[in-house]
Amino acid sequence: MTAVQKRVFINKVALTLSTLSALIALGFLFWILGVLVMKGISALNWNIFIFDGAPPGNPESGLKHALVGQAILIGMATAIGVPLGILAGTYLSEYGKNSKLAHTIRDISDIMMSAPSIVIGAFVYAIVVMPMGHFSAWAGAIALGIIMIPVILRTTDDMLQLVPGELREAAFALGAPKYKVILSVVYRGAKAGILTGVLLGIARVGGETAPLLFTSFNDNFFTTDLNEAMPSLTVTIFNYATSPYEDWQQLGWAAAFILSMFILGLNILGRLILLATKKRK
Amino acid sequence: MASIIDIKEECALHVRDFEFTYKGAAAPSLKKITMPIAKHSITALIGPSGCGKTTLLRSFNRMHDLYPGNSYAGEIEFEGRNILGAKEDLIHLRTKIGMIFQKPTAFPMSIFDNVAYGMRLQGIKNKTELSDRVEKALKDAAIWKEVGDRLKHDANGLSGGQQQRLCIARAIAVEPEVLLFDEPTSALDPISTQGIERLVIELKERVSIIIVTHNMQQAARVSDYTGFMYLGELIELGETEKLFVTPKEKLTQEYITGKFG
Repeated sequence: MTAVQKRVFINKVALTLSTLSALIALGFLFWILGVLVMKGISALNWNIFIFDGAPPGNPESGLKHALVGQAILIGMATAIGVPLGILAGTYLSEYGKNSKLAHTIRDISDIMMSAPSIVIGAFVYAIVVMPMGHFSAWAGAIALGIIMIPVILRTTDDMLQLVPGELREAAFALGAPKYKVILSVVYRGAKAGILTGVLLGIARVGGETAPLLFTSFNDNFFTTDLNEAMPSLTVTIFNYATSPYEDWQQLGWAAAFILSMFILGLNILGRLILLATKKRK
Repeated sequence: MASIIDIKEECALHVRDFEFTYKGAAAPSLKKITMPIAKHSITALIGPSGCGKTTLLRSFNRMHDLYPGNSYAGEIEFEGRNILGAKEDLIHLRTKIGMIFQKPTAFPMSIFDNVAYGMRLQGIKNKTELSDRVEKALKDAAIWKEVGDRLKHDANGLSGGQQQRLCIARAIAVEPEVLLFDEPTSALDPISTQGIERLVIELKERVSIIIVTHNMQQAARVSDYTGFMYLGELIELGETEKLFVTPKEKLTQEYITGKFG
């Protein structure tokens, strides 16, 4: 074998191995999605959206309680996480810039982003659930909101920094005060990016189970009382899927399917928005 | 020694012993600059890269204040006061001394909102007044014919030359006394450049203009006075025709004949 032949051979081996690995990795992904779609769609029916949780064996059982609970938890978490994340990101990009404080915040935020979510659940358990003496939607929303902050903070910071400095200077040169420059020019220039960050932040917390286990806990009944334990899709999936009852397992599959589609949809929407704005430029 | 002519006409700005030092720099980037800026005329600043012409231009509306740590010394007199004072109201100053940048800086909003931006900052809310003044500014900036029927469209859809004229419309809409142009045509094609140059000449009836340019022909074509800068100093300031034909300083002559730069 000549030197060239040897190189060609090694190249082929490397190419085959890496292609194979990629196919295996993707294979698992499609396997999961395939099982989820098959089992999920067959478990879907209108009762799911009409009825609340019921004891096993009851034909009038559904997921309404968990769907509404999930929506309330995510809505509240968004109300907590989005303003804090955007304002903090604004501080970093427009005020802190390259200061020591700004870099420290960025580092801490990155660490928070990779912190196990169960740790944040435990934290909220200690500072909210323990003093209150019971589980509550508030605690769940606070835990999810905290998880959301670093995602939105980082995307806001990055997206605002992409707005050219000349645009800011041009606004200042017209006699605009700093807050007006940020509100009317910088935010406008970065709005698609910020919106994408918000969607990704919501998608990030949408699938969280661990931090809810000891904050909002779960409930098999419909409730809108924020001071009570609140059902969520994720914890319901956990409970139903691990139960020995056939009909509960079916509901678990349906819940998993709905949740996955929701998160997938958010991710796709986020990417589409970014793509559309890139094309325009 | 620098050769600075004494301008007999009324002056818009008076720079005296002006020095500027960037944050952390050991020596000032602009050294002891003294120059009058004639009212309702065009003063061009030329010189090789890094000579300080843009730094000087950005001092007139105190743009350097956006970045902390820079320092001024000396005096720039405008409307009877030294605008380098600590108490100077920068927001007010910048409505009086506007600026056009090298790259067009259309804001991400409609054409109308771009031009109305400065007026709205001044608290003008009346819709008729706003649209009248937007129309007038766009006409004065010679772009009304192209955009008059699509004021609601996104300004970023315009060409580079149109965006630059839009920025000029936006700047003159607030009726400033002085307009600063920082190489306004270096990002544009020759035809757009011609349009901007014609516009600058028209505008001098109403505003005093200072233009920084890399292009000596441009300075010769549009300006009444030209200042030649080198290594942070103003070497010569004279009537444009005289400066380009019979420069008083050897450095000026070497620069305009292409011996360096």
